[in-house]
Amino acid sequence: MSPAQHIENFLQLLTAGLLTGAIYGLMCVGLSVIFGVMRVINFAQGEFMMLGMYFAYYIFGSIAGYMVFGDLVAPFVAALAVGPAVFLVGLVVHKGLVSQVTGISGSALEAEGHYAQLILTLGISLILANGGLIVFGSAPVSISTPLSSTPWVVGPLYGEDILLFINQGQTIAALVAVGVVVAFAALMANSRPGRALRAAADNPVAAVYMGIDVDRAYRIAFGFGVGITAIGGGLLASTNPFQPYVGIDYVIVMYAGVVLGGLGSLRGAFLGGLTIGLVQQLSALFLPNQLQNTAIFVCFLLIVLLRPQGLFGRAARRA
Amino acid sequence: MSRTGRHWPWIAAFALAYGALALFVDNQYYQLIMTVVLVWAVMGLAWNLLSGYSGLISFGHAAFFGLGAYFVALIQLTWGISPWYGIPLAALLGGVAGLVVGVPTFRLRGHYFALAMLAYPLALLYVFEWLGYQEVAVPMVRDAPAAYMQFDDGRVYILIGLGFVVASMLITRLVERSRFGMCLLAIKQDETAAEAAGIDTLAWKLRAIVLSGAMAATIGGFYAVVQLVVTPLSVFGVLVSAQALIVAMFGGVGTVWGPVIGAVTLVPLSAWLDAEFAERLPGIQGVIYGVAIVAVVMLAPEGLFWKVRDIVRRRRAASARTESATAATPAAATRADGFRVADVRAGRTVLTVNGLSKSFGGLRAVDAVSLEVRQGEIVGIIGPNGAGKTTLFNLLNGFIAPDAGEVLLDGQSILGKAPNRICRGGVGRTFQIVKPFRRMSIADNVVIGAYVNAGSDDDARALATAAIAAVGLGDAAESIAGSVSNEQLRLMELARALASRPSILLLDEIFAGLAGAEVERLMQVIRGLAALGITIVIIEHTMQAMVQLVDRFIVLDHGAVLAAGSPGAVTRDPAVIEAYLGRKWLEDA
Amino acid sequence: MLEIRNLQVGYGGRPVLTGVSLTVESGELVAVVGPNGAGKTTLFNAVSGIVPSGGGTIRFDGDDVLALAPCERPHLGIAHVPEGRQVFPSLTVLENLQMGAYSAAGRAAWEESLARVHAWFPVLAERGGQLAGTLSGGEQQMLAIGRGLASAPRLLMLDEPSMGLAPAVADDIFERIVEIHRSTRLSVLLVEQRVAEALSFAHRGYVLETGRVILEGNHETLRADDRIRAAYLGM
Repeated sequence: MSPAQHIENFLQLLTAGLLTGAIYGLMCVGLSVIFGVMRVINFAQGEFMMLGMYFAYYIFGSIAGYMVFGDLVAPFVAALAVGPAVFLVGLVVHKGLVSQVTGISGSALEAEGHYAQLILTLGISLILANGGLIVFGSAPVSISTPLSSTPWVVGPLYGEDILLFINQGQTIAALVAVGVVVAFAALMANSRPGRALRAAADNPVAAVYMGIDVDRAYRIAFGFGVGITAIGGGLLASTNPFQPYVGIDYVIVMYAGVVLGGLGSLRGAFLGGLTIGLVQQLSALFLPNQLQNTAIFVCFLLIVLLRPQGLFGRAARRA
Repeated sequence: MSRTGRHWPWIAAFALAYGALALFVDNQYYQLIMTVVLVWAVMGLAWNLLSGYSGLISFGHAAFFGLGAYFVALIQLTWGISPWYGIPLAALLGGVAGLVVGVPTFRLRGHYFALAMLAYPLALLYVFEWLGYQEVAVPMVRDAPAAYMQFDDGRVYILIGLGFVVASMLITRLVERSRFGMCLLAIKQDETAAEAAGIDTLAWKLRAIVLSGAMAATIGGFYAVVQLVVTPLSVFGVLVSAQALIVAMFGGVGTVWGPVIGAVTLVPLSAWLDAEFAERLPGIQGVIYGVAIVAVVMLAPEGLFWKVRDIVRRRRAASARTESATAATPAAATRADGFRVADVRAGRTVLTVNGLSKSFGGLRAVDAVSLEVRQGEIVGIIGPNGAGKTTLFNLLNGFIAPDAGEVLLDGQSILGKAPNRICRGGVGRTFQIVKPFRRMSIADNVVIGAYVNAGSDDDARALATAAIAAVGLGDAAESIAGSVSNEQLRLMELARALASRPSILLLDEIFAGLAGAEVERLMQVIRGLAALGITIVIIEHTMQAMVQLVDRFIVLDHGAVLAAGSPGAVTRDPAVIEAYLGRKWLEDA
Repeated sequence: MLEIRNLQVGYGGRPVLTGVSLTVESGELVAVVGPNGAGKTTLFNAVSGIVPSGGGTIRFDGDDVLALAPCERPHLGIAHVPEGRQVFPSLTVLENLQMGAYSAAGRAAWEESLARVHAWFPVLAERGGQLAGTLSGGEQQMLAIGRGLASAPRLLMLDEPSMGLAPAVADDIFERIVEIHRSTRLSVLLVEQRVAEALSFAHRGYVLETGRVILEGNHETLRADDRIRAAYLGM
């Protein structure tokens, strides 16, 4: 390859990394609400993302024909609509199952309920993934729209023949992801319910002294966490084909991003996810395609082993 | 778990019954199911050996399983090496993999450990796909099939599998009843307390993962032989790790029988559902495992085995209510002689602390503390809440490192030594909050403390028995720790610390939650230990019981030594009165 | 106003409070003293519902407190300033105060309460944007008290406000508590280890030992009794 081709290749992967990373960042923000802030282990986070993908797929299927949305807007509307839907699923799962081993009930258990949470959510993950197989079938599907196969072409740059193809669907999806992150961060920072959630996560007992219904706050936070990750899934669905077992790979992606970003910080989680997206895409410079995910796993191992407090944001206080 | 229960005959009976049943099954499909049950029983036992006993949950046992499976398949494919050699070699490989995984990963605890373990098999899965091993078939051997572990009769596989199960159960049993298992259980309960009791936690965890990895790789190799085809997903997939965990958790964690019960129940159930409904409901197997594990967490968090045993125990307890709970009796001094400290010279300084300081984020928790403790003394360290007493103990037994100062035990510096080394050197310790191993008997709880300075497991037993007698718990030795009174728990913890044959005992708020006669009895016991030459340092907030017990008080306030001296002098010291009752008390008086 | 009758609490079969009765009248400052392990913090936690009670009654202005869920109790007008401060470390000082005003009464009186809290504890105004976890111990204690006051309570329960603080800082906090009480006539229930100080400012005091009230009365009667000294110093 000529130097120009190398540069082109690099820029192409960098762009892809940033675009994918923005969506990973959104997914990580969702997990961060649950794991980083509330300190609840949710192994099934990837399966909630998978639900988001399928919900988006079906919502898209039912609205795409209508004039108002059209094929161009519908995928993004569908992805956003997934949020509230999975939020509700999250509330139910939390109320029926997760709340038994978290919060004040969890603190009575061994290791503050972390083991019970791990095992319970592993069970939920198996049920959702395999239940998904029954309901959705095993054939990979994707939301195909005109945008997801249309690039913007940037260049030629520097008088040489560097041409950059930027996928339009991915770009809009990344922008939507950033928008959702910003909106959610604002909600958490400046609204009364957002403050109550943060307070309940920070010190649940003191939150009770303030008159906050901590169980309810945790339930809502869980709903937000899975809902936001599901939106990420919905956005990813328009460019990546998926099947019901897709969740497990993304669990590691999300935990890697959240741990990298530093627990308890939404901004850190987003940056962490962005970094993981870049690592995944740029690893293609020296690794064969099949090993992209291995690169993420190795990256995750290195992060938890070498720098469990994360790169961005503060070190977690309640380790 | 019960030490008195005989496992060997039961294991033999199970093997005979299963083997006999196998002889009557001539349907090949059922034969396969019966073999696969055994595979998962061994996988469950392998997982259980590490995670069930030590409490470090592994989500990644598929890594060992898959390595074993690929290894056995590939060496036969490439070099024609028979699985009869391949499987033992796979065990070796699994053990090495355990070591390689364990050394870095044991730096993590709790959920981080679990998640990190998940990453290993997933990474391997993609690596094996990339290497082009999407589907490795074990070649059929025509001329000498038996030499390559290939049999026409499926029942032979069942018998071989049964051999692996029996071996795994016996290994588990050996581990469980030796100090190996006891140390893992101690780690599960409280890793820091285990260190303080003299257990080298990292070494035991590594041994556990090596053994566990070897077991998993062995059965992975056998699985390759049985299935004849190895794919990345079938051996490195999440369901492999999950299934190991689920059969163990379902049947009962930390037991020899749990994984076997789990496998015998769940594997046929899911296989039947799969056969029956797979057409219409393709993921039914995974759903069943998911539901099983959710139900276990909700209804019987430690598995069927424990649930059933708890119910049986409760029934029996209800019928035997008439036997009243045994109260502690004063120390039987004659039996306590074994704990006499050898080097008894009156006035010999045992512990010297010079200028010890420790700050936490600007707060001087311990501030230039100097003190000396002489042999056979009972010293009370008292002070209001937040005076730095527990921090001082944590510095003395090596849990935390000081910013400045030195600590000498018998004239030797103990700074920078691991807590388990310091314990070995003669510093025993109890904790503010007793953390018993609830399902174990008092005797088993105490024996964990005895390993440090005992040559053999039998010595440790003897030491534990003597320590239990010395604190007057003899009658309650076989009671389950979860069922005894607060007083007995305190005595048990004291016995656990005593069983390490300490020259000095650090007791952190040992009187907390005791009242009246209980306090009197415990003071008796402590005096008895001091009479053996054991030096005793007690932390307490309140002086009430302490004034009658101690030879000397050291009063801490805001991390510094406020006063020191005899009980009479200290309780009249204005500085002490001010610390306890406020400055105005003196002004008004 | 607050009326506790024969309250019993146990942890895991071990009795911690064995029949404690105590009242706080409107506008009173009542001190509860006693050595560690006497059950003072448990008493407060039972009022807040953090620990379940095993018997007895707690009434606040006639309402049956024990019938309410823990998170409903602050809405009655009871502010609990817990032992060890328990601020929300990753929220800012101002956000901590806003959390204090979570109840309807607190929100209604927010502007006024904030001004008063800032007047009593000017440092909280200066550090409004700082994360509470980065404050010094004394400042965190002020924030915890300010957070309690921000709910515009009718009863302020203070659990060991001087714990772990340097003597001068503790004196300072103590003076402000007395000043707040004097200027607002807010009912205060105070647990304090500095016995003499607590009793000298309180209208009445209760001495707790091993889960029961061994003495009650005003400053003079309590000071005259040797049992307090014995309870703390053992002789």
